[in-house]
Amino acid sequence: MSDGEPLIRWQWIGDHAAELADYTGIHLRLGLLPVLFGLIISVPLGILCHRYRWLYPPVLTVANILYSIPSLALFMIFVRYTGLTERTVMIPLTIYTLSVLVPNVVDGLASVPEPVRLAATAMGFGAIRRVVQVELPIAVPVVIAGVRVAAVSSISLVAVGQLIGQGGLGYYITRGLQLDFPTPIITAIVLIMLLALATDALLVLAQRLLTPWSRNKVTAS
Amino acid sequence: MIRFDAVSKNYPNGTTAVDELSLELAEGGLTVLVGPSGCGKTTTLRMVNRMVEPTAGTVSLRGQDIREVNAPELRRGIGYVIQHAGLFPHRTILDNIATVPLLLGWSRKKARARAAELLELVGLPSEMAKRYPNQLSGGQQQRVGVARALGADPPVLLMDEPFSAVDPIVRAELQAEFIRLQKELHKTIVFVTHDIDEAIKLGDKIAVFRTGGKLAQFDTPERLLADPADDFVADFVGHDRGIRRLSFVNAADVPLRDGPVLAATSPVASARTGDEPWVLVVDDGRRPLGWAAVADLPESGTLADVPLAPLGHTFSLVGDSARAALDSALLSPARLAVGVDAHGAVVGVADAHELSAGTGGTADATRADGGKR
Amino acid sequence: MNDFLNQIRLVGDWLTSSKQWHGDDGIPHRLLEHLTYSGLSLLFAAVIGLTLGLLVGHTGRGAFAVASVANLARAVPTFGLVVLVVTLAGLSTTPVLVALVALAVPPILINTFEGVRGVDPATRDAARGVGMTEWEVLARVEVPMALPLILLGLRVAAIQVVATATVAAYPGLGGLGRFIVDGLSRNDYELVIGGSTVVVVLALVVQVAFTALRRAVVSPGLRVSPSKS
Repeated sequence: MSDGEPLIRWQWIGDHAAELADYTGIHLRLGLLPVLFGLIISVPLGILCHRYRWLYPPVLTVANILYSIPSLALFMIFVRYTGLTERTVMIPLTIYTLSVLVPNVVDGLASVPEPVRLAATAMGFGAIRRVVQVELPIAVPVVIAGVRVAAVSSISLVAVGQLIGQGGLGYYITRGLQLDFPTPIITAIVLIMLLALATDALLVLAQRLLTPWSRNKVTAS
Repeated sequence: MIRFDAVSKNYPNGTTAVDELSLELAEGGLTVLVGPSGCGKTTTLRMVNRMVEPTAGTVSLRGQDIREVNAPELRRGIGYVIQHAGLFPHRTILDNIATVPLLLGWSRKKARARAAELLELVGLPSEMAKRYPNQLSGGQQQRVGVARALGADPPVLLMDEPFSAVDPIVRAELQAEFIRLQKELHKTIVFVTHDIDEAIKLGDKIAVFRTGGKLAQFDTPERLLADPADDFVADFVGHDRGIRRLSFVNAADVPLRDGPVLAATSPVASARTGDEPWVLVVDDGRRPLGWAAVADLPESGTLADVPLAPLGHTFSLVGDSARAALDSALLSPARLAVGVDAHGAVVGVADAHELSAGTGGTADATRADGGKR
Repeated sequence: MNDFLNQIRLVGDWLTSSKQWHGDDGIPHRLLEHLTYSGLSLLFAAVIGLTLGLLVGHTGRGAFAVASVANLARAVPTFGLVVLVVTLAGLSTTPVLVALVALAVPPILINTFEGVRGVDPATRDAARGVGMTEWEVLARVEVPMALPLILLGLRVAAIQVVATATVAAYPGLGGLGRFIVDGLSRNDYELVIGGSTVVVVLALVVQVAFTALRRAVVSPGLRVSPSKS
């Protein structure tokens, strides 16, 4: 950083407000769609793992191993197939969410009290209806706790995608380095954190609305 | 042995857990602290090993103010058993039991040898030594909890609802074993429970607490049942205390009558002479064989040829309590208790009504040891 | 499928070419750099995170602060932080290491804290009741019981450090990320995918190492499922 350069030039932020808003939108899409896809995969997978316990350890091991692969390396492996596109960022991010979401779906289903399960069966719920109408709703708080972790990590990881040209607000991070100019980097970091925390807050709210019966209880964190 | 001198425990939020408690617990005796939730019984117990520090007053152990002893050191000399056993899940059963000896600096070998001894003492098979707590049933865990408390052979044992987390059958089993153990070990035991039956079954003396941490009565079980200090205690010991008290009345004091007793060799006709619906058939040593229903008797022959209804239980005039006599009456098909002497010969019979009427006035009846321990 | 086989062949060629095994640009040197960054930051982070986590977990004081820090830390874009540090402090190892440590502390801290906090109060009560000093309660009961979570925290931190150290090649640091970043700027796909493979292998080794560590140090009593309840 050149001498005399202030940490933040507010002027720059004002000048780039519209552009920042565009990139924020892209960033949200890149960060949150993977969580949605992750959920679409994890719910049925979690139900299967809950039902067939032998399936759970191998699934969890694979998810954990995939999670341990650094994002940069995983992006590069997909570049070959999906090019320098948004998909190349979103597929690895989707894969990462599984290591949080699958266990939380399984734990959530396991948190359904046995008497409730038995009562539902005794009242004549079929296996699928019981899962959908009784067990999943009860599992919602635990599942959302997982979604919160996945969403926050996903949003903050998007920035790495800038190394293949698809990083949302990460654009300003590389830009700042190239220009030796900290303002865009700091702005990007702060915006990314705000996005993550706002998403987290919205998910807490969503959980309250979805599970009015647990409103007076402490939510899982 | 353990002495509470005007001990109070107040919390900053204004609640009083224990209020001006003065109490002296005898050496080698089992004192039960009993009362409803929030009566301060557990707080009182926990003040003995300084898990809770009193706000006023002194607790002393063998004449020494316990505040003069470093808390961990004090605790290593006092056994401690709690409701869910509180075993260390990451340690094997043997190492759980060896905890205190190891804390005291015994060698691992010596501590484990001691632990193996204790495992046997509490009636667990030695192959359990290598297992972990969550591989054991609740009752087994509780036995390990007792064994762990006995680790360094402490003279004092504190037990906080040790048997209340297990089912009634296991609880009765644990209580019986515990009584056997205490007979052997003669520890000074402070035992907290909310269950008055347990208190009466186990205690040499019982301290009844009322809400707000006040001692309502401190007495022997017999006195507590016969002469409750006030309405609270009377209510707490229950409306059926009359029946409970029978446990403390000797069976020998039960009024018996001769009743319809006939030898097996008697002709059937002799059974019909009385107006009793059942006759007790005995052998030539007057030992009871069973009951014969008069209405079902054949036209002729002797009572030996008649099918007999089982006796149920008899009670012995030597060693049994009046409570056993009552059970005997309730379980008999004829609704009559059969009392036998030391040789098993029938002395007489009584029905439930006669039993309670006949023993009701004897508040200071002698203790029936056989019925209790 | 064919393409996949091609890719494997590509990686094979790259890995076996002798120039990858010598000099400053060789795999051994880059791997050593990577392990040094990751190892050092993990070590410092562990010292800080474990100490604080045990302290807060045992005393229960500062629990809210710990939870907030952990929540906030998860939202920090690690890539941005590393780039910012380099922009502000210039390209040298120490500032980047400090950033890596800062990122690795929260998962260790929160998991250690939760592990200790999660010890059944009855067990803790029993530990004090049998005469353990506070130190003994911590060392003989709380730490062994918290080990599964402590190891989880260390594993998450290690994974994050290894990944972030890879990204740190972008602003100019060494390590395995160099292959990927250099390959990208030179349009040398062989280099990119070869470097990625080495990174993946390292990640797997870390994962396996923690699984083995868990097997070795966590008491079987904490693993076995209750046979009766």
